[in-house]
Amino acid sequence: MFSKDEIIVAYTLEKCKSCNMERKRKFKKGDYLFTETSKCDSCDGIMQIEKIFGEIIEKS
Amino acid sequence: MVDFTNIDLDQLFGFSDDSNPLLMLVWILPIIIFIFYGQRIQLQVTSGEIKKAIKKLDGYRTEARTELIDYVKKNMSPSEDPTKKIDRFLDYFTIMPVDMDPNGVVDKVRHTLRAREDYSRNHVKSLSPDSNELELSKVITLLEIATSLHMIYKIVNHMYLTAKKQNNYPLILPLQMILPFIMEEAEAITKAIPAFQLGQPVGDGIGPMIVGKMMLDTKKELVAFQTVLGEKEYNGRKLFLLKAEGPGSNVGRPGDAVESIVAKNKPDIIIMVDAALKMEGEDSAITAQGFGAAIGGIGTERFQIEDIATKNNIPIFAIVIKQSIKEAITLMTKDIANQAENVTSQINEMIQDNTKPGQKVLLIGVGNTIGVPQ
Repeated sequence: MFSKDEIIVAYTLEKCKSCNMERKRKFKKGDYLFTETSKCDSCDGIMQIEKIFGEIIEKS
Repeated sequence: MVDFTNIDLDQLFGFSDDSNPLLMLVWILPIIIFIFYGQRIQLQVTSGEIKKAIKKLDGYRTEARTELIDYVKKNMSPSEDPTKKIDRFLDYFTIMPVDMDPNGVVDKVRHTLRAREDYSRNHVKSLSPDSNELELSKVITLLEIATSLHMIYKIVNHMYLTAKKQNNYPLILPLQMILPFIMEEAEAITKAIPAFQLGQPVGDGIGPMIVGKMMLDTKKELVAFQTVLGEKEYNGRKLFLLKAEGPGSNVGRPGDAVESIVAKNKPDIIIMVDAALKMEGEDSAITAQGFGAAIGGIGTERFQIEDIATKNNIPIFAIVIKQSIKEAITLMTKDIANQAENVTSQINEMIQDNTKPGQKVLLIGVGNTIGVPQ
């Protein structure tokens, strides 16, 4: 059995296809793996969703 | 006057005298009560625990039903109120074929299940004919969740009420023993609802996620119902990459797909990547390699793949990513997602070790592909 007070937050990890820079942000509806999202901040590459996962942030 | 401050307990209960009738009554009365009413007392105690569990199960099924109806109303814009149709579907049942003569039973099971799947799809589509495949697949899965929780509640409640009605304690024992497992599964199924509503990848999707990434730059074709095939080269080997069609909530039909691929391009080895249930005490997200068809479900797909592999003398290798039932059907954990690179390198190593340049490899990412395109 698992705790009722467990809070799982969904995150989206984006990765630049050119410089491999990673950016982690909260998941938003419409995020799907491997979709291209935005331009990279450090180079002109395209950011692609690499992973979508949940992290437990609180447990009592 | 009685002096209550100076009572001799030994004298009162006759601890020093074995023939005291009051002491004998204190010992004998409970024994008599337990001989005649022991089972009823146990039934009452156990009933309390089971009643609490049934109340929880009732809450889960109500939550699943409400979430499903709300989701359909918000996302499918049905022309009429879908409540009545959904409620009717919750009580649908599947009668498994007779297995007294097991010959050909797998085909019968497959036929029955596919007829049910087709009916579910058409039924959901009739709620809103213009809905896209992604929304349709999500609603079908939410419907399956609601149906499963509804059925679990009904079965547990039936077993409990039968034991109560017959005042039969032994009848309630099997239920008491399996109830913790049922509750764990029901809780996990309920917690799976948000992931399917939002289209997030679940732990079971790790296989399709790994193969889907390898398929990104390939030309894809539908090789069986809701099952996609891509081809690419790796170190002189030809890879056939197979997974369910994402990002909808599908598991595809890998059995039919393998049959079609083997008929056209017989592979030299098959590698299957899937999530597997971890044992108690095992860490989550660890990987293991083995032999044989790594695919869950009722067994029809596994039977088909094993049958084709045996007839064509193709060895099947498996890589599994261990996880709990809850992790398999809820949002993928970070630990499981982080295994993707490791498993990819294990696949490459496996191909390198077991094939020669010029040979063909069929790589199958097994599991629900919700949130995982290709």
